[in-house]
Amino acid sequence: MNLNSDKWTGFLRIDIENRAGKSVPKNIYYYNALKVQRPIYHGTTGMPCYYILNVGGGYMNGDTYRLEVRLRENAKLTLTTLGATLIYKTLDKPAYQESEIVLEKDSYLVYLPDPIIGYENAQYKQVDTIYMEKGATLIYSDILTPGWSANGNSFTYNMLQLKTNIYMEDELVVYDNIKLAPAVQQIDVLGFMEDFTHLGTLIVIGEKTDDDLVKRLHQVIHEQPGKFDVGISRLSVPGFTIRIMANMTQDVQRIISVCHKLISEEWFDETPMFLRKY
Amino acid sequence: MDSSLLALFQLCDSNFPSGGFSHSFGLETFIQRNKVHNRDTFSQWLSLFLKEQMVSADGLAMKLVFNALEEGNIEEVWRLDRLLTIQNMSRETREGTRFMGRSLVKIAETIYDSEMITMYSKRILEKKSFAHPAILFALAGNHLKISRDTTILYYLYSTIINLVQNAVRAIPIGQTDGQRIISDFQPKLKEAVEVIKRLEENDFGTIAPGIEMAQMQHEYLNVRIFMS
Repeated sequence: MNLNSDKWTGFLRIDIENRAGKSVPKNIYYYNALKVQRPIYHGTTGMPCYYILNVGGGYMNGDTYRLEVRLRENAKLTLTTLGATLIYKTLDKPAYQESEIVLEKDSYLVYLPDPIIGYENAQYKQVDTIYMEKGATLIYSDILTPGWSANGNSFTYNMLQLKTNIYMEDELVVYDNIKLAPAVQQIDVLGFMEDFTHLGTLIVIGEKTDDDLVKRLHQVIHEQPGKFDVGISRLSVPGFTIRIMANMTQDVQRIISVCHKLISEEWFDETPMFLRKY
Repeated sequence: MDSSLLALFQLCDSNFPSGGFSHSFGLETFIQRNKVHNRDTFSQWLSLFLKEQMVSADGLAMKLVFNALEEGNIEEVWRLDRLLTIQNMSRETREGTRFMGRSLVKIAETIYDSEMITMYSKRILEKKSFAHPAILFALAGNHLKISRDTTILYYLYSTIINLVQNAVRAIPIGQTDGQRIISDFQPKLKEAVEVIKRLEENDFGTIAPGIEMAQMQHEYLNVRIFMS
């Protein structure tokens, strides 16, 4: 029990360990507006998939959420959401979510949440901090999209901010700060979002990263249908970032999925399951 | 004129061998896609580059370096060197600033008698620090006892003239147009310094998606005259 957990609008803790080749929950705890369903195991991989569920339906004024995820040595986990994170009108206090993720030696986390959708006058700040130990592998994504609005404009939310810090053996190796603030910024200009509305990010960290894999990902991404712009570049540690700009969630998700599939097959000799939700 | 100001001017001089002439920081991607093709479109790109990337990353880092030096917190300077380097997701742009940073530090070490610059140089050799032009500028400005905001202004100015010269060659645009842009940018540079004064670390390194995208895509361009 986390004694401080009741101060959050939603709190979730997932602690996974490897027991004889199968990754199993050591401790699962949730409180208030967040919960998880029973995990689904795909084939014989021993890798559970948890779906995070927001009981409240959406994030509102001043809501605060905290997620704690720990993968013990050699443990594996796929984490996703059951649906998009909806951010509603938050006039005086932005909705806030923080995640603290610890990946012990040789563990493997796939984190593929659904998009964050900012509705009219929405404000949201997310801070994710990930601590990795040597040999751990991370596939991490996020997608920011504007919600439907009555006047037909794309960017009616006030501000969506995603901050991601990743530490490898206690040294900061990734710092990403996305802040789209249509209330005070010109969004649709050259060099900013240009003709696009959706912004996706995939960050992958794994010791097996090499130029050949990055080249193949680049190739497979450009075979995908849809209108999008994408950049892929290596990090200062073995790993890379893929940034995607598009106008439809499925175009972003398709690119993230094909990359996830290729990496999973290449590094773990596993074909990932389709994350069926509806 | 103040002799310490002259000593900082030397760093800003476009003839100073920093290697800046071979880096476009993604501008070349915009040029090849014909999104930047004349004075107006280049001005638009440069405005956003200044307003977003230079302000929230380089400029804010310099302010934080000055503050750290004032408090005698040297570890914070090294933290900012790492943060400023890794916050850029484009490998080429990271390597480009590192390369320029190393050239600047090497020369600065011989022309200024600064303990901090010597320490920075040593850390770079030992691979404990990356090397970044903005960090070096802040250390040099602080060493020469030039104010924080003046140092930031000169750093932004030297970056702008460097990019204008690259645009003159690459787009190409005329030399007169180039000089007009530099002149038009003077109020924008001052405004950038004002924005940096108000910025907090929460907004450090916020990305401009299109600018970053072009920097990431540069490594896949077939024909290139710039290294980034």
